[in-house]
Amino acid sequence: MVANERSADDIAIVGWSVSPMVRNTDKTEVQMLLEVITGAVNDAGITRADVDFTCAGSCDYVAGQAFSFVQNIDALGAWPPKRDSHVEMDGAWALYEAWVRLLLGDIDVALAMGSGRSSTADPGLIYPMEMDPYYLAPLGADATSFAAIQARAVIDAGKVSEDAMAEIAARCRRDAKDNPHAQVTGDFDTKALLAEPYVRAPLRKHDLPPITDGACAVVIARRDRAIEMCEHPVWITGFAHATESHNPGMRDLTGSPSTVLAAKAAGAGDAPIEVAEIQAAYTHEEPILVEALGVGDAVVNPSGGPLAANPIMATGLVRVAEAARQVRDLGKHRTLAHSTSGPCLQQNLVCVLEGGSR
Amino acid sequence: MARTVESTIRFPYKRSLGPVLGAFMTALTEKRLIGIRSGDRVIVPPIEWDPDTAASLALDFVDVGPAGTVQSWTWVAKPSSQHPLSEPFAFALVKLDGADTAFFHAVDAGSIDAMSTGMRVAPRWKAARRGHITDIDAFVPGEEPTVVAGDESSPGEPVTMMEYDAAITYNTPVTANVERSEQATEEGRFLGLKCPVCGRTYTGGKGYCPVDAVELTPEHEVDLPQRGTVTNYTIITPVQYPGQTETEPFSRVHVWLDDSDVVLGYQALLDTPNADVRIGMRVAAIWASDAEKADVDPRAEGNLVGWMPTGEPDSTDPDLLNRIC
Repeated sequence: MVANERSADDIAIVGWSVSPMVRNTDKTEVQMLLEVITGAVNDAGITRADVDFTCAGSCDYVAGQAFSFVQNIDALGAWPPKRDSHVEMDGAWALYEAWVRLLLGDIDVALAMGSGRSSTADPGLIYPMEMDPYYLAPLGADATSFAAIQARAVIDAGKVSEDAMAEIAARCRRDAKDNPHAQVTGDFDTKALLAEPYVRAPLRKHDLPPITDGACAVVIARRDRAIEMCEHPVWITGFAHATESHNPGMRDLTGSPSTVLAAKAAGAGDAPIEVAEIQAAYTHEEPILVEALGVGDAVVNPSGGPLAANPIMATGLVRVAEAARQVRDLGKHRTLAHSTSGPCLQQNLVCVLEGGSR
Repeated sequence: MARTVESTIRFPYKRSLGPVLGAFMTALTEKRLIGIRSGDRVIVPPIEWDPDTAASLALDFVDVGPAGTVQSWTWVAKPSSQHPLSEPFAFALVKLDGADTAFFHAVDAGSIDAMSTGMRVAPRWKAARRGHITDIDAFVPGEEPTVVAGDESSPGEPVTMMEYDAAITYNTPVTANVERSEQATEEGRFLGLKCPVCGRTYTGGKGYCPVDAVELTPEHEVDLPQRGTVTNYTIITPVQYPGQTETEPFSRVHVWLDDSDVVLGYQALLDTPNADVRIGMRVAAIWASDAEKADVDPRAEGNLVGWMPTGEPDSTDPDLLNRIC
């Protein structure tokens, strides 16, 4: 590609930072954010004062505090005043909003962040509160129970098996050995994994993501500023999300139509994808998503993915950072990041990244 | 590991149901299950809009079930405090007879070995029903609905509201700065942290300057003065809520500490009639003696009892206006 293929409206990732991923941190959410924001602006070679727009993804139910995102703003540096927004969603959606904001063209640099301190309370009690409040939440319908119901549906459809799911867990944990941020790493024998009891049949512990405290921040800029800032901008060439019914009983759980829609809208299939970083937090979600994204030929989750570290509210944004790293630091040409939200892959986001030309 | 503070937050919601969900909940009191027509489909539980097209649905309800077929399921070996059953049970998606979508609920099968995809289940109704999704105690294997013990409910008024109550216990870390700040107030001192960039001073053990986003550490600590000026106040007429011990109107003042930019908000003012509270008053901190500690309001900062007027002439500094919070 040559430089003139990029228009002034093209937007690139120019810096990022991922926090250590741990089971239980001594840090507050603000402190985690303080570090990754400093890390991301340093990586981009700018200061906080250069950022025109910020958007955070976090969750009051996780933090145990109403308006917890307001104090998280402390980590941004409140002066000079910034345009700021917040989504009660993964930081990947905060990045989406920041990208849309930069498309307006009047400002050039934005920062998106995601943060969650999941160790603060029991996720199994928090997530039912975010389900349908009439039919599901009063039953304590937890995310892992729903994941298990989807896993059985996918197994019954012949798309995956418990053996294959153990292989996915073992592969992710093995790949995560090279990821300094990962939480669960190492070599595991699938026979031993399969000998473990069910947590929620047919899911065993290795089929579930770890509980993780962590944060991530990503800086993006419009073309002219991006080229000024760095040698290798990572261009966002497609970005879309789509959703389905919030009630899993209304859906065919053996596929992910909203992922198909988002991938199409983001142009994922227009050229080969070399690496896909996907938010498959449960092992059985990987084959569903690989099929829906059309990335069967790509390397999937070389970072270890959410099965190696799952900082809720930042897990999707970490996928974007990892997919960007593949382009900027590891020489890949075209990669994809995926994020999801809601029970049984309800809502899905796809971000296509390309390197090459400036 | 840092010390943590445990707090349990309750989320007691009352929700209005509207004509579709209300109809479903009303039917539950009558031991009936209903769906709503959407084109050729019957959607159960009924919702207000078509899940594919978002078209508003007419109030065209259809009786379904009561038995159905398990489409998928999982086994909950260790139920949580929010789950409907305290003994191990299954969560399942049940396609009720006559429905085109699956209904999520618990199945009380006794053992995981009794569960299978394709099995037939029917509701076990609670004896006393109030129009709530838990009026179905659980589904049980078989074709015939049952009722727990004696059937106490009689069909009555349409159900228009539902209650939901969850409690979550959080453990929040106490940072080293907060520990040191709390220790200082125990000792009758106000500990400040002065930003090395902008020079602003913060209290309460803040870990960073929110203006400059730099970390504050023990090297930035300063002891703050114990005298100050009232920059703002309010007179509160107490309403009774759990923990409120005041019964008569009382004042709360904001105090700007001398030679600093620190304003402490909502402080108790001692021995001062409400009519005498004014901006510019000079005040000094009063700390509890060891003997008095037990009487200090547990919500207060350390052993700070409140602020006592010093009798000095009021401050007329025009900058008070900029120090109201």
